[in-house]
Amino acid sequence: MESCYHLLAIIVRSPGAQQVPAPGIPGRSKDAWGGQEGLLLESFLQEMKRYLGFTEVDARHLRELGPRMEKYFPELAERFYAQIRQHPHAFRVIAGGEAEIARLKQTLQQWARGLFSGVYDERYAGDRSQIGYRHVRVGLEQKYVISAMGIVRSYFSNCLLLEFPASDERLRYAHSLGKMLDLDLNLMCESYMHATVQNLRALNEQLERANRELAEASRIKDEFLAHTSHELRTPLNSILGFSKLILDGLCKSREEEQELLRDVFSSAQHLLGIVNDILDITRIEANQMILHLEDVNPRQVLDSTLPLVAVQAASKGLELHDLSARRPLPSVRADEVRLRQVLLNLLSNAVKFTSRGSVTVRAGVTGTDGVAPSRRAFLRFEVEDTGIGIPLEKREEVFHNFVQVDNSQTRRYGGSGLGLAISRRLVEMMGGAIGLDSGSQGRGTLVWFTIPVVPEAQQESSAAARRPRATATDRR
Amino acid sequence: MTSKKNPPRAAACTVLIVEDNALVAKFYRMALERAGDFSCVVTEDVPKMLAEVEAGRVQVAVLDVSLSGTQWQGRPINGVELARLLKQHAAAHRGRPLPILLATAHAMAGDRERLLAASGADDYLEKPVYDAAHLVGKILNLLNSA
Repeated sequence: MESCYHLLAIIVRSPGAQQVPAPGIPGRSKDAWGGQEGLLLESFLQEMKRYLGFTEVDARHLRELGPRMEKYFPELAERFYAQIRQHPHAFRVIAGGEAEIARLKQTLQQWARGLFSGVYDERYAGDRSQIGYRHVRVGLEQKYVISAMGIVRSYFSNCLLLEFPASDERLRYAHSLGKMLDLDLNLMCESYMHATVQNLRALNEQLERANRELAEASRIKDEFLAHTSHELRTPLNSILGFSKLILDGLCKSREEEQELLRDVFSSAQHLLGIVNDILDITRIEANQMILHLEDVNPRQVLDSTLPLVAVQAASKGLELHDLSARRPLPSVRADEVRLRQVLLNLLSNAVKFTSRGSVTVRAGVTGTDGVAPSRRAFLRFEVEDTGIGIPLEKREEVFHNFVQVDNSQTRRYGGSGLGLAISRRLVEMMGGAIGLDSGSQGRGTLVWFTIPVVPEAQQESSAAARRPRATATDRR
Repeated sequence: MTSKKNPPRAAACTVLIVEDNALVAKFYRMALERAGDFSCVVTEDVPKMLAEVEAGRVQVAVLDVSLSGTQWQGRPINGVELARLLKQHAAAHRGRPLPILLATAHAMAGDRERLLAASGADDYLEKPVYDAAHLVGKILNLLNSA
């Protein structure tokens, strides 16, 4: 009972109960039991001595025993670890194998020597109290050590029998040694408990941290849901509103009905785009987006993508330049569909955010992914416009979900606000990088991205293999 | 199908519509004009709104909450702030309140209470707003209780 109260005192007053804990580093007694803890350890020691009736006479007996017991220590160490070996689990935690066991046997002999030192002060208790820390750290359970301590006890009894044939002398020493072993066992159990509490405290902190991270993730999900709901409702408003106007017979002419139906159709297309973007980003964030990497001819991708924005660009009076057409481009390792999606996304953005001037596409080989030099070659695509541009401080932000330069521009310019976030993730999944600069004239926007080039040795064969497109080997 | 051919007359009332999505603004205008015989002023320009209110040319307003292109005193202004501004302006220059309907795609739990309290608006509609008769009914309600 008494020792229980002391244990409580140690736990309650241990660092971290009130203040921020200086995490105890077991291994040096100062760290684990330093400062006030030392006083508590000292009082625990005194309390245990009182409880066990351990006196100076016992200390003297043990000091006298020391020289006679020394010769038994090696054998003690053998028996101790033979006992540990019987428990595969206990043995497994001794990571260093036989070499470690040999070292531990030496440590055990040191420990035995300490038993007979005759000085049982705070320093002694501090050393003894490290055992629990070490064992908790490696995952060695208390029960194995307690049973091994039983070996120590019975072996020493046998030694005393050999050393002191006369029973009254033997009993005197045995009694003192028994108290000492009890004291040691108590110190060890105490340190096990203390180390366990520390472990729990650290685990608790980990849990709290995980909890905070979860709360943050949940907040982001809520925000995503709110944005999604907002973005879907706007085109739905037009789809439902105009079709209901027609159904309610509120149109003045067939021409007006036609006009509203075109609005319904374009809003539904816009809605489809948003739904696809949301599916994409959800799949990407759930790590369920699977890319089909193959050797892709970038020329074909550019040639099939540019016409998709050419009409819109022309209707706004924008010039669309393809400067990549000047030289042959090497094959890249990419998912062709996703590469086209990224390119189309950047081109649509450029056209969308530019009211006059031009949109220019470039492509060329470089030795960097755009961030760090690399041993492999990359094809760098650039889409430059003469549009409204993006302020410096927003250049990172626009790659986040649902962000346009002015967050509320989404509806003015259309789009889900997810395009760049999706593009970044797709480009990164293909092994490249994406970034944003001002246009070359200091105005407008230049978005670039890189895609790994197929190594030269494989260029020829892959070009040949591509001809019968999308064969089983091609699209693994 | 109910006919909306003879809705309650909105005696020469004009509705101020502030909505940054052109198609949604177009729907509001058509719905209010065709199903309710209202006139409409559609604008995203704050000085124009204030002038309309000041001159007593609009009697009620439908405001969107997220406004992309609307600025006031060099800063972007949203529908919540705009509602307060227009209410103040109506009270100061016309001596009577301007009823306001907030129409927004913010439809998460708590948005309604939060936005109504922050804006001082009189009523709230969650997008999609697609029933012309319903929209007209809301506006008439506002006018009758004003």
